[in-house]
Amino acid sequence: MMKYIVVGLIVFIVYVSFAGSTSPYTLATATIISVILSALTAKYLVVNERKLMEPWRLLILIYYFFKYMTIIEFKAHMDVVKRTFTMEIKPGIVKVPVNAKSRYARSLIMGSITNTPGTVVVDEKDDYFYVNWIYVSSPDPLEAKKAISEEFENFAIKIFD
Amino acid sequence: MSRRILVLMLLFSATLIVSFTATIILNPATPSELKELAKYYVLNTINETASPEAVTAIVWDYRGLDTIYETLVLYLAIVGGLAIFKMSEEALLKTRIGLTLLTKTSTKIIALLITSIAAAIAFHGHLSPGGGFPGGSAVAVASMIIIPVFAAGTLIEKGISSTKLVAIRGAALTALGLVALLPVVRGLEIVTNQKFYPASILGLPISGSLSLYNLLESLAVASGFTAVALYLSIPEEAYKGGSSA
Repeated sequence: MMKYIVVGLIVFIVYVSFAGSTSPYTLATATIISVILSALTAKYLVVNERKLMEPWRLLILIYYFFKYMTIIEFKAHMDVVKRTFTMEIKPGIVKVPVNAKSRYARSLIMGSITNTPGTVVVDEKDDYFYVNWIYVSSPDPLEAKKAISEEFENFAIKIFD
Repeated sequence: MSRRILVLMLLFSATLIVSFTATIILNPATPSELKELAKYYVLNTINETASPEAVTAIVWDYRGLDTIYETLVLYLAIVGGLAIFKMSEEALLKTRIGLTLLTKTSTKIIALLITSIAAAIAFHGHLSPGGGFPGGSAVAVASMIIIPVFAAGTLIEKGISSTKLVAIRGAALTALGLVALLPVVRGLEIVTNQKFYPASILGLPISGSLSLYNLLESLAVASGFTAVALYLSIPEEAYKGGSSA
């Protein structure tokens, strides 16, 4: 039941904010559409309903969002900016192990790696990510993980696993 | 820097400079008065069609018959395409791999958000810019990202096939035709709006037949375009090795 409510609520909020009005007509159609869409899609979007009942996951996600968008992104950008001037690059693809199990956690890690400049996930296979890295400081999977995705993974496991 | 890039940059800046100076020197006057035709629509649309959105009122009311025939033309084009492509679902069932996990997970979320926005576009067509066709096209965007990401075979497995989608489109268009025809029963003209359909239901503004047309048209366009995307994703190999005349 919880998953239908959560998915419906997301649809409702997106619908109303896009329509940009809170007239009775908008709210009535928003209700109809969120009921239909959540009935159709919730089973594909939510696998484990129990996790929706744990609000601290959402709090960690919000904290992670702000930390990622400010501190982590800033550091990664500054690093790449420095490298564009010094041309101190040693590009290559490294193998990075992942421990997170759920697909949302893995997607969050992949998205976080790709969205920071300097690293791009190019493939995923058998609990390993293949990451194209601007400066390969170590080809060892564990060393690379420490430098690339350890912080993302810790947060992702707390949020989604 | 290579010469080609230099030439391109020079051309670009020259175009910018010329267009800016032309705008300043020629100073094209913006019209200060509405033309007679525009004035008519601005003053009368809300009374004659119960819709504040003049474009939708023109499309589905003032020239409604034209739009209905236009919808039919697109329907025939889609049915024709389906006939030419000889949809074989066996060929599609082989394509079942799709893209990576990240793409799949984010596509699920994005498709839901696109569909919510598409519904808002379609349902507010008679109140603000938008309407059935843009709304349905936006839904089609969602299905067009779903098909390559999850592979067409997965959709067929879930019971979504071109034939079914064309059937939905046919049903929506039949309903649309009925909405246009119903006023004839009471001796009114075909595609009559305000003399037959109510301007609001339970105090909610629906602008008579306009919102019905928008709803049905968005269903028809969404299912039609999804069907097209599905039969265009038949892998090339399915045609290779066939009997060549």
